[in-house]
Amino acid sequence: MEKFTKEMVDDYADKLLIGLTEEENKMVLDEFNIIDSDIAKVMEIDNIESVEPMTHTLDDFVYELREDVIEESVDIDDLLKNCDDYINDEVRVPKVVE
Amino acid sequence: MEYMSKSIEEIHEALKSSKVTSEQLVKESLEKAHAHQDEYNSFVTIIDDAKATEVTDSLLSGIPYGIKDNYSTKDILSTGSSNTLKDYVPFFTATAIKNLESNGAIGVTKCAMDEFGMGGTGTTCHTGTVLNPWDKTRMTAGSSAGSAASVASGVYPYATGSDTGDSIRKPAAYCGIVGYKPTYGMISRYGLFPFASSLDHCGCLTRSVKDAAIVVDGMKGIDKNDMTSWDSSDINLYESITGDVKGKKLCYIKELCDINEYPNANDELKSHLANFMDVIEKCKSIGIEVEEVSVDKKLLDALASVYVVISCAEATSNMSNLTGFIFGPRGEGKNYIEMMKDHRTKGFSPLIKRRFVIGSYVLQAQNKDRYFHNAQRVRRLLVDRWKELFKDYDAVILPVGSGPAKKLEGSKDILDESTKALEEHLQIGNFGGFPSITIPAGFIDGLPVGVNITGNCYDDANVLNIAYAIESTMNYKGQIAKEVRHD
Repeated sequence: MEKFTKEMVDDYADKLLIGLTEEENKMVLDEFNIIDSDIAKVMEIDNIESVEPMTHTLDDFVYELREDVIEESVDIDDLLKNCDDYINDEVRVPKVVE
Repeated sequence: MEYMSKSIEEIHEALKSSKVTSEQLVKESLEKAHAHQDEYNSFVTIIDDAKATEVTDSLLSGIPYGIKDNYSTKDILSTGSSNTLKDYVPFFTATAIKNLESNGAIGVTKCAMDEFGMGGTGTTCHTGTVLNPWDKTRMTAGSSAGSAASVASGVYPYATGSDTGDSIRKPAAYCGIVGYKPTYGMISRYGLFPFASSLDHCGCLTRSVKDAAIVVDGMKGIDKNDMTSWDSSDINLYESITGDVKGKKLCYIKELCDINEYPNANDELKSHLANFMDVIEKCKSIGIEVEEVSVDKKLLDALASVYVVISCAEATSNMSNLTGFIFGPRGEGKNYIEMMKDHRTKGFSPLIKRRFVIGSYVLQAQNKDRYFHNAQRVRRLLVDRWKELFKDYDAVILPVGSGPAKKLEGSKDILDESTKALEEHLQIGNFGGFPSITIPAGFIDGLPVGVNITGNCYDDANVLNIAYAIESTMNYKGQIAKEVRHD
């Protein structure tokens, strides 16, 4: 198991498009060390690997397909209220293709 | 005459008998909200143009309430207490709030919270720390910090909250009020800002169990926009409350409640657990059978980390849409990557950033089984153990936290080894989607403490009825915070 290092914390933060201060980097590692130690103890539980991971709370969800009914769309003016930069009905976004 | 410190039933009766009007209630609540804000900083927004509604047979009609700021409210600022959404005004209203509106309820505030619900202190709101109305030097806990503080102060009889780990039930205990999250999916999450979708619950903070039943009756219902919601139309929580607890059985967990489990216990913890045992005696005095049971300590010791791993992983994914392009303030930079990074770096608090990085790390292919899947395995083992208990007992009763509200000075939102299972056990209610309610249960050094009652999925009516009966053995129902003097 590769150790979680200061450099790796910065790398992960960078991939998430988040900048971290030195102090924030240290906080990640401090909290992570506790988690790592707890998980190490979990792995000592007999047959833990045979337990099915639990992904949601209820095991009796009923999934139903509803009728395909056309509904009123959201008003474009309402949507644009939260946008800083638009022309007419179009949002201006930064260039993403070099 | 003041009405906002009364129960919903009392206020409804006053409205019906024309002793007061909805207009007068809105005025009183808004005045109290402004006064409260100056002292405790509970709100992101006070809705000064809130309008009175017609008084109908709905118990909630004509009565003001508070809305946690992670519920979307059309044309009203909804920030989740984050700088990344500091100007966000939704174009739709969350289903739970719409349901309250259709009952004639009047939202008068948007309550501050730990950023996106990802904290437990009330100190990470972008508008600053929320102060505890019992003692300004102490935290409210979180994340439903502003909701808890304002209800405890008597700004209105209730506020909505959300609960991913204990975000309704712990602030309720620290503020001396009731906090209830019903079974997962009883209330639609549509329009609630997602934190960790498999753990997120809607709920409420009130000053009595009956009020909690009334409010959730008004919020709940199946919703085509939330496929995890279910039809609860045959459940009326308010009408189910009888106070009859004959033949009911509760259990508490030895490994969490026995003082001998804590060799270095301080006086506060000793008082807290002694107070809890007093509550157990009160339960027995009204005919409830209570037994001590054991749970594997390895599972209990792991639960806090299990929660962090699962919730951080889900949050990292849920919040990847916070880029500053489609909503939120645009960041600065030469290209879109720099602009997104600037937006996220400046917008998120250190706590959120920390949790995103941990969430991302545990989801990497090479780490996923060790951290994420093992956390989900412990989640199942804990839930299975609780479901076993529910075969023999109506509910589990436990103390909330390790004592009263903690001091703000030196507060930290990081896992603490010594009492962490006692601090964090309410998260099991989220792992299993169980109905879970905290009620005030006493005082330590003039500060309130609470107990929690958690039952099996869909057994909300039974849980509330038991909580109501226990509440009736004590004198804390409807209490309003009175600041503890330090002189």
